[in-house]
Amino acid sequence: MNILGIESSCDETSVAIISDDVLKTNLVSSQDFHKKFGGVVPELSSRAHLQQIVPLLRLALKESKLELNEIDLISATAGPGLIGAILVGFIFGKGLSYSLKKPFIPVNHIEGHIYSGFLMKEKPEFPFLVLVVSGGHTLLLVVESFSRIKKLGSTIDDAAGEAFDKVAKMLGLGYPGGPKIQEYAEKSNGSKIVFPIAQLKNEFDFSFSGLKTSVLRFIQKEYGESSAIPEKELFDIAEAFQKTAVKSLTRNVERAINKYQLNSISLVGGVAANSFLRDEFTLLGKKYNKKVVIPDLQFCGDNAAMIANRAKNLFDLGETFDLDYEPFPSFFSKYFQ
Amino acid sequence: MEFPFRKIIFSESETEKIAADFSKILAPSDLVCLNGSLGAGKTFFVKKICSSLGYDSVSSPTFAIVNEYNFQKKIYHFDFYRIKKNLEIIDIGFEDYLNDSDAIIFIEWAELFEELLPKKRFLVTIKLNDDNSREISIDNLK
Repeated sequence: MNILGIESSCDETSVAIISDDVLKTNLVSSQDFHKKFGGVVPELSSRAHLQQIVPLLRLALKESKLELNEIDLISATAGPGLIGAILVGFIFGKGLSYSLKKPFIPVNHIEGHIYSGFLMKEKPEFPFLVLVVSGGHTLLLVVESFSRIKKLGSTIDDAAGEAFDKVAKMLGLGYPGGPKIQEYAEKSNGSKIVFPIAQLKNEFDFSFSGLKTSVLRFIQKEYGESSAIPEKELFDIAEAFQKTAVKSLTRNVERAINKYQLNSISLVGGVAANSFLRDEFTLLGKKYNKKVVIPDLQFCGDNAAMIANRAKNLFDLGETFDLDYEPFPSFFSKYFQ
Repeated sequence: MEFPFRKIIFSESETEKIAADFSKILAPSDLVCLNGSLGAGKTFFVKKICSSLGYDSVSSPTFAIVNEYNFQKKIYHFDFYRIKKNLEIIDIGFEDYLNDSDAIIFIEWAELFEELLPKKRFLVTIKLNDDNSREISIDNLK
């Protein structure tokens, strides 16, 4: 069976094809489109999705050596995200479904991330713990099956990826913030700066807003402004921030491992690209003897492979959807407990 | 609450009190713009207004650009921080959001694209002082 996945919930347009459990192609606009087609600097716009989606589909079919009419199932992100952006991929998918007379499966973007470990050769085993960390989301969940997800906690303010971006900006390191913080932190010999970790009512929730403000206060107090920070001390601040942010994530993971019966732990989403977080997460798995699944980098950021992958689960569960199914900008999932 | 409102505050609970008082005068179709540097507490202020209105799950809209909350009230929570040019805002249907008279709208980093904002709006400015205090101002622009 050939499954087409389409993702357009925010900045990236992505098209992927999975054939009988084998991923044939996973094209992401910012990485592939601009490289292969030249074109403008990516901007946040529904028009950008509109311009990219057809060429991406053509290229995906070519790379998969398939004709359009050989696609058996069409899936697209239905939310959450920016409604104007979602609509482009979603309506395009519905249109294909109608004209090809093949079933259409709307997919929740977050569920796509949650099950993205199944795109790997070594797959998670139920029940597993999953930490979703991206620019827009920070969630800790126990996944009991393909249709049962228990939410333990989420961020009460900023997402983890957002904290990395904003602290990078405060330090004058530029964009994107995640890789910059990691790069600078790696050059530190270990700093003595201590930033606080928030203590929250729900032991599985996260908060990054206070950490962001602590870094800001520290810069103001010690240097006045970021341009006055000597380079070596930038390394130390980046290291101290990264250590604290990662600790606040892994602390909750460790609490969950101690409280729930789990067979695997999985780290997903764009911030899962951070190598310090990957290392610390892997160490926790070793410490508690849990199988660790962290998807390859191409499945961490927003991508359509995870959408097609989740659509396959839903198809196998026997789920069917009418073409009048509507997309949702806010979070909605019937599989969350 | 009377405008222009100005207060220097030293704790989260004082911010909560101001947010609660301010929430009482907000009605559908009101627009609230929030300005202030990174870490000033714009999202926190919106979060506390929304708690007073009966909704507790507000988180930062920086990445999503806009979060929509539907409870007894309808709220659009924008953040212009990540936007590079005003065409991008128009392209995501900003004018349609503005014309929704059922919703209260919050916009963080609104001053980045002041030219797109209607004249009639509340302007909340949060300033971080060196002594760890914050100055909160609210103006009712017409």
